[in-house]
Formats: sequence, C-alpha cells, structure tokens
Amino acid sequence: MKRLTSVIATGLALGLSFGAQAGTLEDVQKRGSVSCGVSTGLAGFSQKDENGTWSGLDVDVCRAVAAAVLGDAAKVQYKPLTAKERFTALQSGEIDILSRNTTWTHTRDTSLGLNFAGVNYYDGQGFMVSKDLGVKSALELDGAAVCIQAGTTTELNLADYFRANGITYKAITFDTSDQTRAGFESGRCDVLTSDQSQLYALRIGLKDPSSAMVLPEVISKEPLGPVVSQGDDAWFNVVRWSLMAMVEAEFLGVDSASADKAKAEGNPSQKRLMGSEGDSGAKMGIPADWGYNIVKQVGNYAESFERNVGAGSPLKIARGLNAQWNKGGIMYSSPVR
Amino acid sequence: MKEFKPLPDQPAPNDTIGPIPWIKENLFSSPANSIATLAIFAFFATVIPPLLDWLFISANWSGTTQAACTNENGACWVFVIAWSKQFFYGSYPIEEIWRINLCLIGLIAIIIASFKLPKDLRNKIAIPLFLMLPFISILILSGSWIGLEYVSTDYWGGFSLNVLLAAASIIVAFPLSFLWALGRRSDMPFVKSVSIILIEFFRGVPVLALFFMGSVMLPLFFPEGTNVDKLLRVWIVLTLFMSGYMAEVFRGGFQAVPKGQYEAADSLGLGFWQKTLLIILPQVIKISMPNILATFVMLFKNTTFLLIIGIFEMLSTTQTALTNSNWLGGHSTEGYLFVAVVFWICCFSMSMISSSIERKLDTSHRN
Amino acid sequence: MSEKPQVKSSPSFFNNPRNRSLIYQLLLLVGLAYFFYGIVSNTLANMEARGIKSGYDFLFTTAGFDILMSLIPYDATHTYGRTFVVGLLNTILVSTIGIILSTIVGFIMGVAHFSHNLLIRKLAVAYIETFRNIPLLLQIFFWYFAVLAALPSARQSMSIGEAIFLNVRGLYFPGLIAESGAGIVYGAIAAAIAGIFFLRRWAKKRQNDTGQQFPVFTASLGILFGLPLIALLVSGIPFVWDFPELKGFNFRGGVTVIPELMALALALTVYTGAFIAEAVRAGIQAVPHGQTEAARSIGLKESKIMKLIVVPQAMRVIVPLLNSEYQSLVKNSTLATAIGYPDLFTVFVGTTLNQTGQAIEIVFMTMAVYFVINMSISFVMNRFNASVELAERN
Repeated sequence: MKRLTSVIATGLALGLSFGAQAGTLEDVQKRGSVSCGVSTGLAGFSQKDENGTWSGLDVDVCRAVAAAVLGDAAKVQYKPLTAKERFTALQSGEIDILSRNTTWTHTRDTSLGLNFAGVNYYDGQGFMVSKDLGVKSALELDGAAVCIQAGTTTELNLADYFRANGITYKAITFDTSDQTRAGFESGRCDVLTSDQSQLYALRIGLKDPSSAMVLPEVISKEPLGPVVSQGDDAWFNVVRWSLMAMVEAEFLGVDSASADKAKAEGNPSQKRLMGSEGDSGAKMGIPADWGYNIVKQVGNYAESFERNVGAGSPLKIARGLNAQWNKGGIMYSSPVR
Repeated sequence: MKEFKPLPDQPAPNDTIGPIPWIKENLFSSPANSIATLAIFAFFATVIPPLLDWLFISANWSGTTQAACTNENGACWVFVIAWSKQFFYGSYPIEEIWRINLCLIGLIAIIIASFKLPKDLRNKIAIPLFLMLPFISILILSGSWIGLEYVSTDYWGGFSLNVLLAAASIIVAFPLSFLWALGRRSDMPFVKSVSIILIEFFRGVPVLALFFMGSVMLPLFFPEGTNVDKLLRVWIVLTLFMSGYMAEVFRGGFQAVPKGQYEAADSLGLGFWQKTLLIILPQVIKISMPNILATFVMLFKNTTFLLIIGIFEMLSTTQTALTNSNWLGGHSTEGYLFVAVVFWICCFSMSMISSSIERKLDTSHRN
Repeated sequence: MSEKPQVKSSPSFFNNPRNRSLIYQLLLLVGLAYFFYGIVSNTLANMEARGIKSGYDFLFTTAGFDILMSLIPYDATHTYGRTFVVGLLNTILVSTIGIILSTIVGFIMGVAHFSHNLLIRKLAVAYIETFRNIPLLLQIFFWYFAVLAALPSARQSMSIGEAIFLNVRGLYFPGLIAESGAGIVYGAIAAAIAGIFFLRRWAKKRQNDTGQQFPVFTASLGILFGLPLIALLVSGIPFVWDFPELKGFNFRGGVTVIPELMALALALTVYTGAFIAEAVRAGIQAVPHGQTEAARSIGLKESKIMKLIVVPQAMRVIVPLLNSEYQSLVKNSTLATAIGYPDLFTVFVGTTLNQTGQAIEIVFMTMAVYFVINMSISFVMNRFNASVELAERN
C-alpha cells in the first residue's frame, strides 16, 4: 500500500510544478524555456506542420521572447489552448505568454488580471460571400444565413452590427475554422464572417477561391496581441520590447540577413537595437544582444509577416493597417534608447 | 443366410442441393425477400464502383506536398501519408519514438502475459506490472526521472495518446472502481451513500462536461501557484469517469458470484479482505471480462472527444492538419476516413475478443 | 463486514464490527470534509485572485448573441438565463427524436438478424459492427459534412409539390397557423388520447374476463384521427397553411428542420440504433427455442409468435439495456457542439461560458441538468421494466 502511495505521489509530482512565486523572467531563465500558449491551429498565426514544428505570426512573438531572454528562439514550449482555457492557463501560471490571436478589450485588460503587451496584428471582422450572390455590401444581406466560428467577440460583433442596421440573419455556429469553411462551401450559409486575417485563409481553402469575395465592410476593431499576467512588470517589459524590437528593426531597415552588419557597423539607432551600444538589455535583466538575437533568429516584423501570412505564404494577406506608420499602416514602435 | 444389404443412399433431391437452390433458399425465398435482395444488389452496384475509383484507382499516393495531389477525382492520400507520423505519435521527437513503441509493446506483452503465464507467476509478476504500467509508461515517456531526455507532455499526441490515455485510465480505474463497487454493497450507510453518489455522478454526466471540468474547473481547485499538467487533469477525469462505469460492471459481477462462495469463505474463517480479494475478486473479474472490454471500447472511442478541449489526440491532430496553411482545402474526407478506419479496426477486434471470451465463459445450457 | 462468532461476551472495542464501521465512516467523513474544504477554499481564493465573478447574477443579464434555432421566442436582447432554457429545450428535442428513431431502427435491425434472407442478415451484422465501432464524433462529421452538405443549394431545392423543400439549408414544410377556435381541436386531440387510454384498459380487462379480443389498434387510430377531424369541421377549420417560400436568400415561413438537427439526430439514431439492435438480438436469442416450438405446436401464426410469445419475453433482457442506451444517447447529444446544433452544451457551456467566464456555475448547472434528465429516464424505464416483469408472471 505504501509503495502504491509513493507511486501515485510520483505521478502527481510529475505534473505538478510550483512556481510563479519569483518573477516570471527568473523562472524562464532558470527553466531554460518560454512556455507559450498558442491556438490549436490557426492558419498563418499558429500552426503545426507535418514534423510538429510550430510556425506563425503569433508563434514568432514567443520565439522572439525566447531569443531575447535565452538567446535561442527554439527554446519555446508550445501549449495549445482552446479559447475557453486561455486566460485560466495564464492566470494559473501554466504559460508565461498567451499569444493566441487574443483581442485587446477593456474588460480583459482591466478585470481578468491580464496585461496586453502590445499589438502584433491589427485585425477586424469582415464578411466573405460567394460571387454569384451578386452582393456588393454587407447591408444587402437581409435574411442571410451566416457561418461563424464559435468565439468570444465575433458572435457579439455580428449581432450588434446586424441589429444596428436593422438586418435579420441566421447564425450557424461552428467549432473550428475548417468546419466554417466546409459549411460555407456546401452552401449552408450565404456569408462567412470572421476576422479578416482568417477570411483570407478560409478563402484559399475553398475548392475554387475565385468564386468567393471579401466584402469591404470591416465591422469591428480587433487589435490582437500577446498577453501576460498582471503585476509582473519585469516580464511585461521583456515581452513588450521583444515585440517592439521586431517592429523597430523593420523601421530601421534591419533584417535577419543584415543583422550582423548592423550590429558591427550600423548607425547609432541600429547599434542600440542590436545591443552593440547602450545597455538596453541590462535594464531589462536580459543579455545585451537581445535585439540582435531576435532579428537574427526570428527576423523583423516584415519578415515574420511575409513569411507567415503575407506574400511568402499561401495566405497572401496585404500589409494594410499592419504596415509601418510611414507606409500607410499604424505599426509604430517606441525607440530603443 | 441372407445378408442384409442396405440400398445405396438416395441422392438428395435436385432442388435442395447445389448453388441454385441455395440461392433460392437464402436470397429469393419469398417475393418480399426477392425484392429486398435485388434492391440491396442494385444499391451496391451503384455505390461501390465510384467509391473504389475514388479510394484507390484515381487516388493520389506519391508525393510529400499538397501539390502532388493532381487528380481531382481521387482521394489525396498524400495528405495522410505526410501527416502519418503526427497522426500516430504527435509531435514526439522522432529519435525518441522508440519510447512510445516500447510502452505500447509493454502494454500488449503484459496483456498477453496475464492470459498465458502460469497462475502463480501471473499473480506475482503480471498483475503488479499491469497496475504499475501507466506509471512506468509515464516515467519512460516523460524521461527526465530515469535519465532520458525530458519530453514535455505538450509533445505527446496522436493515436498513441488515445491508446495510452485509455489504457492508463482503465488500469487505474480497476482498483478504484472495485472499491466503489464494494462501497456500494457495504452495510455502512455513509460509505454506501458516498459510493452511490460517486458512481451515479460519473455515470449520469456527459463525458464532455467532465472534460470541460478537467480543462476549465480543475485548475481552480488546486492551491494558488500550483499548476497541474493538462494531460494529467484529463487522465484524472477519464479515470473517474471510467471508474463509475466499471463499478457498475463489478456490481453485476458481484451479484453473479453464487452466495455459497461467500459462505464457504466465511466458514474457512477468512477475514473480509482475504475473502474479497482471494475468493470473490477473481470470480468477479472473470465474469465481468466481456463487460469490462465493452466499457473499455466505449472509453477508447470517447478519447476522440478530447478534440473539444484541445488535446492533440488523433482526431484533433487531423483537424490541426486541416488548418495548416500549406494543406488548406478539402482533405477532411481523407483525414476523417483514415481516423475512422483506424478506430474501427481497433474497436472491432476488441469486440471480437470480447465475444470470444463471452462464448468461452458461457457454460449455460440454454436452447 | 464478516460476522465472526462472538465467543467472548465483550469483544475488544476495535473488534466490535459496529464500532469498527463507525470508525471507518467517521474517517471517510473527515477525509471527505477536508477534501471539499480544500477545494472550496482553493477555488474561492483562486477566483478572487483572478477576478472571476461568482454567483448566478449573470443569468439575468442580456446575452447579446443569437441562437440558430429556438423552440421559444428568443433574440439577442434576451438574458443568459433564457439561453439556458433554449438550449435545454433543444437538447430535449434532439434526445427525444433520437430515442424514438433509434428504438425503431434498433428493433428493425435486431429482428433483421433473424431474417430468412441471407443478405438482410449479413447487412444487419455489417450495420451493427460498423457503426458500433466508429467514434460517434466521426459519424456526426460524416452525416453533416459528407451527406447533408451534398444536398442541393437553396435555389435548386428538391421539392414535393412546391410545399415541402429539401436543400442544404434544411428541410422545409408547411406549418399550421392557428386562428381563433383552434382550442376546440386541441381539446379534441387531448380527449382522443384520453379515450384511447381508457379504451385500452377496458379492452384488456374484457380480454382477461371473457377471453374476447377487441381490435384496439384500429379503434385507437379511428379515435385519434376521427375526433380531431370532427372538431375541425365543427369549428370551421380554424387553421391556415403557412407555406415556405424562397424570399431573398432563404426560405421563409413554414417549419424548418435545420441540417444540424438532422445530422445529429441521424448520427445518434444510427449509432445508438446499432447498440439497441445488438440488445434486441441478445434479447431474442435469450428466449429459449422451446418457446417458439411450443407456440407453433399450439398452432399460433408466425406473426403472432413473435408478437405474443418471443418479444414479451425478450423485453425482460432488452429493457434494462435500453435504459442505459437511452441515457448514453442523451449524454452523447452534447457532441452537438462539434457541428453547432444549439443544444444546451453548445449554447450554454459554449457561447455563454465564453462570454461570462463563469465556468463553475455553468458547468455545474449543465451537469445537474443532464443528471436529472438521466435520472428521469432511469425512473421511467424502471417502471416500464417492472411492468414487463409483471406481465411475465401473469
């Protein structure tokens, strides 16, 4: 009996990990890996390939943090989470960062004990319709059946928008995005609504992508970004500036290919970002070349964007709002100095 | 003396032997039967050829990327082949996969051993090993405690996870459910009512609700600052769920043990635990074996529901594969069909084993 | 506990079974109390630390989301409490349909196992073994994404007489809109049901007393249709048909059966039907062959043998199995969430939980509901079982 008890205790202890008493940053350094909550599968944002390797825009945030803190972008433990568990996982300390296309809203920021460390993708909810429907605007959709993925804000936005415009509709709620696509494709619904970034992915997935079009209306603001627990400012800073560094690197014209050069012989702002000047790393308690590691291993924001969702990916999403502020977008980073 | 010579046997009448009467007897014995037969034949004739064409003849077999699926009219098995490692082993590191195989082989070996080994060896070795197996498997798969490379549970997944979770749950549920079943038969009113509440709760509540309890409620039950691995939480929930069902199976088993067995044990002066463990339990397990297997098949199929809470078992791995941007679009049929076939093979063979045990145990002389 | 013969007049305190059982129970009580105290205090501390609200106030706040199908009036301005009711009714609907259909399918396939036609026999076996051994979730996907999604689009609907339409959006058929005076017809239907109930009792009593049979079934049918028909004519047909019509994107008017409901009901029917068929087969096999032979030897017709001799005895085996199959059907209906049929789970544990974040209250309420539904099924089936056993003794 005693033996059995000890065996059970061993089993329990395997899963138990006490922590989060010290700062998350020290925990991460001691553990040697960043624990990152991601989506179970969202094209372009967090997805697993045949070999089990994670990639995506959201995943790159975690890789950037790992590169900054540990000097190795690969030292990330990915925890796939459903929408329901994501905040619990962060609150209980199971994950260090939640980077799972989470919309920054007032309620979440103020009442859940969370802090949003920035925005890595400005999204908005849109509509996709079949071209032969002959619809040019969402306002012509009276009586339409709408396919929608069960989520947190999408259903509310949809209800608000249609109610405000006095339009009736039928919402058909699916569990995953692939099912939403299948429902749209079979004609179960006239319209598919989702965050615009996902609309592109869903459209590519159609048997004939050219048969569908995305309507111009964007009915909501969805600033998506990484989230950390409230009350751990050191860690919050690390995550916020890891994200900033990617955007700043793009602004300064440094990419993974030119990182070495920028570190050695760049202009002063480039050198500060790459850590060859100033003490930006020490102020955060991480290695001096944190910026260099991020850019060298993960790339700047433009590289990450193009690789995962932009021209270099099957999704082919245009930069739009997510371009640099001086190129028509609203991506803006504070200077590293 | 005239010897008796039997006449040679008459051949059977022509209209009862041979293929034509057989067909007539079995397929066209009445007008209604004839219509049914023809309808069934017609159905198969229209369905099977295009199905075979899609499944095999026009199917795309070779290649490693979506682009290799050139024939639109056939299945894209390239998808399944490319993702097969994920489907079976999840993201477990390739060079460490031998550990999963080792655990699966261990499971099979111990099950065979518990049937084939001589009795005393079985009681001393196979059964303790069987009960320890989930814990040993965890040690091997996790690795860090026995000096292997640590593999976090986040990398476990695929079909092997379905098998391991189901097996680990049923094994731990064995002793637990036995206790609950004993409790339900107990004379002590409080013990009895606690057992009944436990059993009926875990039987009366949908397993999906229990999974949600494991994924969103259990983390709140533990002290602040501790976090319990998601897979472990799921394991706990599955074990409790399974115990509820098995306790009822055992209760049926207890009732089937003749009363004389209890009385004989009492008259030998055996104590309660001696009587229960040495005399009653072996008979109960023997009687309940087919039902235990049926319950296990149910549990095994139910592990696919873990998809809903984001555990990468086989079905949710398939769904993840479907959302990968390099494989977008229309392979869901192939993926789901593959999962269905794998599960069907496993469950069907288990139900075959179950009914063969049932037949072996069935010593009644009915009919 | 084993009762040992008490040799000593006063056994030591611990060896007294009564004391011992008291101690065991006390230990269990203390252990459980400590366990629950730990859980409750941890939970409260965690909830406070994480800013999770508690209590049931959320039930009275506006939900703000729409639900695809509701048996009671509902829109986004109603409360979360109402989403609970909507979901519950949808769950009860699909479970009821599933239970009725799976029983029919199960009995047909179970009896088909004993058909004279080899193909039908083999088909019954193939049906049972295929659908029993594939996870239900996959079967739901199959019916929804493979079978129902292959139906034509709304504009190319299949239709019967321009009144009933079937397309990928569902099955549409004309509804009845009641006008004043419809109460008479409803009353007539209620009276017909009550009449049939009393007729059956009377007929049974008469058969027991005199041995004469009364054509209960035909008479019941007559009452069931005749009485409302007379009421309908007397009250001047207080109903108008409401035909479905293609307007804009979709059909409007009439009654709609959404494909999510069809797929879920189909999957539950086929899956549970396979288990019920197996139960029916086992039940029929458990009836000794001598019973059939004896029935034949007293000259009963084959059809009557099944109905009067075999099935009533088989029911003793079948009914307890049906009980657990029905319960698992209700529990399995939670998989609705995978295809978005708005049952209690999808609506309440899905969207409402997502919106409010009050996991404990919501999961608890949901569990309680399924528990109560299953207990009710168990209660009804046990009553039914008792009546089946009684019939055997008579």
